Parts: sequence; C-alpha cells; structure tokens
Amino acid sequence: MLCAFLVMKIKDPRAMQDIQGVGIGLRHRHFKEFIEDKPNVPWLEVHTENFFSQDSTAAKYLREIRKVYPMSAHCVGLSLGSANTTCPVREQHLQKLKRTIDWLQPTLVSDHLSWSASDGVHYLPDLLPIPFTEEALKIVTQNINRVQDVLQRQILIENPSSYLNFLESPLPEYEFLSTLVENTSCGLLLDLNNVYVSAHNQDFDPLNYIENIPLAAVKEMHLAGYSIDHIEGKDVYIDTHGQRVYEGVWQLYQQAIKRFGAIPTLIEWDSDVPELSVLLEEKSKADVIVNNIINEQVK
Amino acid sequence: MTTLAKLQRNFISDCLSGKLTEENTRLAKDIDTQSISASGLMGIYQTSAIGNIINSMKLTYPVIEKLVGDVFFRAMCKQYILSHWPKTANMDDYGSDFAHFLSEFEHVNHLIYLEDVARLEWLFHQSSLANDALTTDWKLLAKVSESEVLKLKFELAPSVVLIKSDFPIEKIWRMNQLNAPQEETIEILDSETLLLLYRDGFKIEMKSLSKGEFELLGSFLYGKTFEQAIKISTDAENDFSIQVALNKYIEQGVVCGFAH
Repeated sequence: MLCAFLVMKIKDPRAMQDIQGVGIGLRHRHFKEFIEDKPNVPWLEVHTENFFSQDSTAAKYLREIRKVYPMSAHCVGLSLGSANTTCPVREQHLQKLKRTIDWLQPTLVSDHLSWSASDGVHYLPDLLPIPFTEEALKIVTQNINRVQDVLQRQILIENPSSYLNFLESPLPEYEFLSTLVENTSCGLLLDLNNVYVSAHNQDFDPLNYIENIPLAAVKEMHLAGYSIDHIEGKDVYIDTHGQRVYEGVWQLYQQAIKRFGAIPTLIEWDSDVPELSVLLEEKSKADVIVNNIINEQVK
Repeated sequence: MTTLAKLQRNFISDCLSGKLTEENTRLAKDIDTQSISASGLMGIYQTSAIGNIINSMKLTYPVIEKLVGDVFFRAMCKQYILSHWPKTANMDDYGSDFAHFLSEFEHVNHLIYLEDVARLEWLFHQSSLANDALTTDWKLLAKVSESEVLKLKFELAPSVVLIKSDFPIEKIWRMNQLNAPQEETIEILDSETLLLLYRDGFKIEMKSLSKGEFELLGSFLYGKTFEQAIKISTDAENDFSIQVALNKYIEQGVVCGFAH
C-alpha cells in the first residue's frame, strides 16, 4: 500500500535536515544554555506536548533553538494503543500535534506502543502497556495509519517498558512491532533502557529481543536511566528517566550498534533533570562506544 | 477473553481508585500475579502516573514547592491528584484548581497566603502560554474624534493578568526565585497587593500597580468604555493621570488595541 505520507511535499528545507550521532533531550532548564552557549550537540529531541501553545514562552525559546539545531519530535499523548479509536480527545490532540509539527519541521516524529486514554473520559499520564494480541494489532495499526495520514509522514513507534505480563498476550513484543512495521510502513524507535527494564521485569533475554527487531526499521535509539523499587520482595526496574544510563544498558547499546549501525541515539532524561554537563557526559560515553565499534568494523 | 476496551477500562479504574487491595483490583484476572500481587502491580502504574503529574506540577508551582518543601509538596500534590485526575494529555492545562484545593487543605491552614501564591503561579503559567497580541496601527487612534474616543473600548494583550491579594505575594514570589536576595522579614498582614503580569518577548513581567492603574486596566479587561474606565480609575485614586498610564501601557504592549 502506498501511504499518503510517502508522497508528501516537503515545504520547509529544515525538514530535510539529517540527524546523526548522539543527541540530547531538550528540557526547560537548559533552554537558555542552548540559546546563549550553543553547546556542540548534533541534534535535539523535544516533547511536542510541551509546545502546543505556539506563542508561549517555551515555544519562543524553541523557535530560537530550532534555528541552530536539527530536531526530532517525541510525543507522549497519542495513545496509539487505545481501543477507542475515535475518541474526540485523542483527535483534538492529534490536530494540535499536527500544528506543532508543521512549524517545528522535525526530521523524525515518534510516539510509543502504549495507551493513556480510555473512552475519552479519563487520561492517565503514563505509557500504559497493551497485551500483544491480534485484536490489539488491528487497533494499533488503525491508529498509526490515522496519525500518519493526518501528519502526512512516517512516524516511529517506541517499544514500551512494562512492569506486568498479561495472561493473554500470545505474540512476542518484537513480533508485534515487526508486524506493525509491515502493516503501516512506520519506523521504530528502539529504547534500549525500555528493553532492559522490560527484560528484567518480564524475564526475557534482551539480546534475543534486539536480534528479532527488523534491521531496516530502526531509525532512532534512546538511552536513559531507570530506578529500582522493591515490591513484595522483588526488585522491579522502573522506567523513570531520572538517572544516568546503567552499565547493562550501555552493554546492550554496544550490541545494538553492532547490529543496527550508528543509528541516531538520544540521551533522554525526564525527571530530576540535572545540569547540562551531566547529559553531555552521557553523550560523550555514547560517542565513544559508537566510534570504537565503527572503527573496529572498518578494520 | 477480555476485549482491549474492557481491559483498558479496568486498568484505568484500578489506577484511579485510590487505595488498591486484592479484592478491588479489577485487572487481577488478566495479569500474571505469580511474583507480585495484582494490587502491587497496579500500584506501580498508579505511583508512576502520579509521579509524572507531580513533575508537571513542580514546573507550574515552583514557589509553592519551595515554601512547603519537596516532601510535603509531593504528598500535597498526591492528595490533589487523587481527586483531580487529568482529562487530556496536555499537561499545560493541568492544575487550575490547585489554589482552591490549598484553601481547603487543612494541613496548610496556617500558611494563609499559600492560596494566593498558588493563584499567582497558575496565572503566571497561563500568561506564559498566551497567544501573542495582534499588531495595531495606533495612528488610527489619532483620527478618532474627541467625543468618540470616550466611547472606545481598549483591549489588553492576551498575556495580561491582573491579580489582587490581601497578602504580599509579589515579595514572597520574588524571594523564592533562584538566587534571589533574601529580605529579612515580610509583613504578611496589611499588605494588599495589586499586580500586573504580561509577557514581553521571552519574559513574563510582574509589576505592582497603584489603585488607579489596577482599576483602569481592570475596566479595559471587563470591556468598559474609556469614559467608564476614566471614572472608575480616578474615583479609586486621586490625582491619577490617565494619559501617563495609557501611554505607558500602550508602549509596553499591555494595551494592544481598541475597538469602537
């Protein structure tokens, strides 16, 4: 099927900007540093929902920063896994997103394989899991197609982190994602922290997971930190994005670079956001890993 | 098999239900509870969602957080969230009732100014989100006859907010900004504050107003004619200069247009 987004006309040359290397998630507390100091970061990622008010102070900062840095747009509110596919709240959200994407002209746009709205009445600001069933596959396919049709572009779907197993979930997560790629021509955003967190919580092999992700579909990777909660005698890894990247995730990143190549990678930090220098240190670590592996492969 | 729609209804219901027990966890029959109980698992999601909302509230209410401390702020927000779950994914819209909630939250009754400081922070947040004003050709004002000028209605920029409080909320707000110089004491009582907020480029300006200024801008805000605004503001303040005030607010972009 030739989707509408494949024949879109690019109106703004900034949309053609490539993003390469290791970028950083742009957060409010670093706005001024990016405007005044212009730190050497190849690209930035923003949470689009923070810029829905187009004249807002935050949006004014972003427009200034956008003049210098290529961007990717990361969404958290499309609720692609919601069973109620015609929920008006979600449709309003999609229209606001479109307006933001139209002026931001990001290179990549992504959201999660998750849901947060039910019946258009309640919204839970979290990335909630879905069971990997044929019914869910049909629903998520429909929702992704709707978003891509409205935005007139490909979106990337991020693998979720999860803390529970549904009893009725016959498809492995990587197979569910692979089928979504086939059904919708979407791309994938591989969050290695999420793979690591879910692998621990759900007891699967993270390496086997990334080996089963379709090679050409991965357009971006995320690295972040998690926290550990002790619940009923068990250690549960929680995807808080409020820490440095853990060693196990760095190791998984090495394997991912070997498999997928030097895919654009983001250092993501959402809660208790530290000084920019901390994010730049994490970025440097990722740069070293990528460079070492690429150099080895060249030899 | 539970349909996805029903499963999601149960999921949301569990997360919003407040205290979770094994008996009241509706998702229990759909999830693997061999290692951790259903209430334990759903509690993870409930806690995570509440944490995400608190992170958003910390951005909107940083002074309240500083005044009560991080731990108490989190606990207070949790109480608020449990009775005010978000309706949309746009967290910029969330937290409008927080000031009212604080006025009824018995644990902060002794902080009598807290409600008004929260109101100031919410309006500051709203001002930062407002649309820009449309440009006006002020030369057209000179062409309006003297008698017609009195019938004009002046318009305020969308970012303009007027606040009246019985407490020194501006001083409290300024003292709790990053790197702010610390005043020795603040007189809490008998400190009526009249404030104007408006956006100037990237910055939200906060200015103290005289009674005349407050009534003038308030009259414009409520759609009074210029003639009515003159009467109200000069009644409120002897020797109040309309011309000086109007010129200042046009120059600052606070007054952004006029209509017949």
